[in-house]
Amino acid sequence: MGVAMHYVGVYAAGALKDFGLTVVSTVLSMILGVLAAVGRLYGPRLIRLLISWYVELIRGLPAILQLFILYFGLNQVGITFSPLAAALIWLVLYGVGYAVEIFRSGIMAVAQGQREAAAALGLSSGTTMRKIIFPQALVAMLPPLTSFVVLQLKNTTMLYLIGYADIMYEARLGVDATNQAGPLYVMAAIAYLIMSFIIGRIGMRMERRAAAYR
Amino acid sequence: MSNDVVVSAQGLTKRFGSQLVFEDVSLDVHKSEVVAIIGPSGAGKSTFIRCINHLHPFDGGTLELLGHTLHGGLKSPSRAVLRDIRTRVGMVFQTFNLFPHLTVMENIILAPLDVKKVPREKAVALARELLDLVGLEHKKDMYPKRLSGGEQQRVALCRALAMEPEVMLFDEPTSMLDPELVGEVLSAIQRLAKQGMTMILVTHEMTFAKEVADTVVIMADHRVAEMGPARQVLESPQTERAQQFLRRVLEPVETMEELSAAAGQGGED
Amino acid sequence: MHTLWSAWVQYLPDYWQGVRVTLELTGASLLVAIVLGFLLALARLSTLRVLDFMATAYVEIVRAIPVLIILFICYYSLAQAGLKLSGPVAAVVGLGGFYATLYGEIFRGAIMGVDRGQKEAAAALGMPEGLVMRKIVLPQAFFAILPPATNQLSNLIKDTSLVFTIAVADLMFQANAASANNFLPLDMLLLAGVIYFLFYLILSKLLARWELNVQRRRG
Ligand SMILES: Nc1ncnc2c1ncn2[C@@H]1O[C@H](COP(=O)(O)OP(=O)(O)OP(=O)(O)O)[C@@H](O)[C@H]1O
Ligand SMILES: [Mg+2]
Repeated sequence: MGVAMHYVGVYAAGALKDFGLTVVSTVLSMILGVLAAVGRLYGPRLIRLLISWYVELIRGLPAILQLFILYFGLNQVGITFSPLAAALIWLVLYGVGYAVEIFRSGIMAVAQGQREAAAALGLSSGTTMRKIIFPQALVAMLPPLTSFVVLQLKNTTMLYLIGYADIMYEARLGVDATNQAGPLYVMAAIAYLIMSFIIGRIGMRMERRAAAYR
Repeated sequence: MSNDVVVSAQGLTKRFGSQLVFEDVSLDVHKSEVVAIIGPSGAGKSTFIRCINHLHPFDGGTLELLGHTLHGGLKSPSRAVLRDIRTRVGMVFQTFNLFPHLTVMENIILAPLDVKKVPREKAVALARELLDLVGLEHKKDMYPKRLSGGEQQRVALCRALAMEPEVMLFDEPTSMLDPELVGEVLSAIQRLAKQGMTMILVTHEMTFAKEVADTVVIMADHRVAEMGPARQVLESPQTERAQQFLRRVLEPVETMEELSAAAGQGGED
Repeated sequence: MHTLWSAWVQYLPDYWQGVRVTLELTGASLLVAIVLGFLLALARLSTLRVLDFMATAYVEIVRAIPVLIILFICYYSLAQAGLKLSGPVAAVVGLGGFYATLYGEIFRGAIMGVDRGQKEAAAALGMPEGLVMRKIVLPQAFFAILPPATNQLSNLIKDTSLVFTIAVADLMFQANAASANNFLPLDMLLLAGVIYFLFYLILSKLLARWELNVQRRRG
């Protein structure tokens, strides 16, 4: 247990890095994801096709493989990133692939009647999207969005493999130094449990607020 | 009418938690008797007939049926008793509840095969016969979704009858049907009554109750408001509560009598 | 292009070996996940409060832990505690135990989704509980189970790519080894990507075809 106590501070610092990376990449991939979802639904044919291929590719390949291609693979053709840059780019590229689908099905879940009613009132398509469709879609999207953020958080566990100094990285170092694989990995699990729990709570609160009109 | 009682409820009481559904319901049903239960919504009619085949346990009183005696309260009857009751009492539901993943034929023979262990050829033969009686032999390989409501309910009737039950329970068998489909189901039930089946049915069809039932029970305010020979109860009810209920229900029925009579005939051909 | 192709051809036997390990792991983990998941679903649906509580706790905790950490705990932490599992066994225990929570929730949702009238109708015909489950509830739940279960299988295959971290020689392991050998990580990782993507495509096409069939048949 002494070992564990010694590592609490180190873990907290690592956790902060993972959490921060999750938040930043989530915000970025949601912004890009909304644009891509609109493009996927209403864009010209070629755009629609490209976006759907992109989504398939991201969802069809293991996350770790995508990370390795980005960090180690591109190195072969002379493109190099720092671990932090690679981590952020990877999480965003990966996140967009998932966010598109969440936004798309959320938008499609809003009844056609709503669109027609808005059109009948003479609202522009932009206004319809912002004021009518999106607020309603949000209710359907929040639960999958919450799981998506948790998924991204969990993905950060792989970052130690490219040398990003987060919880898992510290845990590995700690195990190498002390041979205490039991407490150190269990503590890492607990750290992630706490972070997922926080994200879940925030998601639940937002769901309640978004669904208030129902 | 013969004297042997098939179902006998004495002081039956049922609650859901602290909410009283009905209390002190007593009723004797004789062999080949047809009992119609009517009454306002929420009176506990459905719950009462579900207590008879023990889909719901009841809290107080005694229920004797088919040689078994069940007491209200905590201990539920043994598996063997429950099985015996359920195989000898058939039930038709308001919402049909056909099994959507099975064809019409499979719906009907499932319980005979798996519960009663009837040989397959016998079960199939009986099923064909029953389907033929309700005019649905040609639909035997269809899935329930493809059938109209009236057809689904007739299949549900066959499914119950395939167990060769001694008592049949009906819970508003026609209330989910379009008006023009009601007749085909009611006439099938009427035919069954003529063959001497013992039946307890909850219904909103007053004309039908008057014609087919021997006994009418009016449930209201969680108890039996009045009970007696069908014509007597429906035409000259004695209690205040029964009169009040019938006044409200029979008025519109009067004007619709032609309609339901026509629907009743539509099903005969 | 020529170098890419020749690099690929040279390592095909290693990759084939890796694919076999990946598929074996997937199969074994899926089996564990389905069996344990079904038990978890039954426990959560049971009227015994203790069972429900224990299953709920297991599901809520395990599914919130990243797979990689679960694998480390099964391999390294258990070993330190005296329970030494081989890499493949730890992988199956970890992946199976994790995916059991996901499959359990799929089963539970599907079983609860079957209309109550169906169970009542079956009970009214005298069918005992086990028979009702087997002949009425599960076949109907099956149609609700297959799509999400296939999606999770596809996720499971992808997650097996993490087992190289606990010294199991799966497809990803072979790709890493080859990269380290010929210093062509992009080429070698792309080959693994093609194979993983094929699995994904096959599964999603199978599912799409099956869904179309069901729609046609029961429309
Ligand atoms: N499973 C249940 N749990 C709790 N309360 C129930 C349940 N089933 C029925 N009730 C309540 O019991 C009362 C009687 O219901 P029941 O369905 O027996 O009435 P009913 O006479 O058949 O009415 P209707 O004509 O509308 O079908 C109602 O107040 C209902 O809300
Ligand atoms: Mg009712």
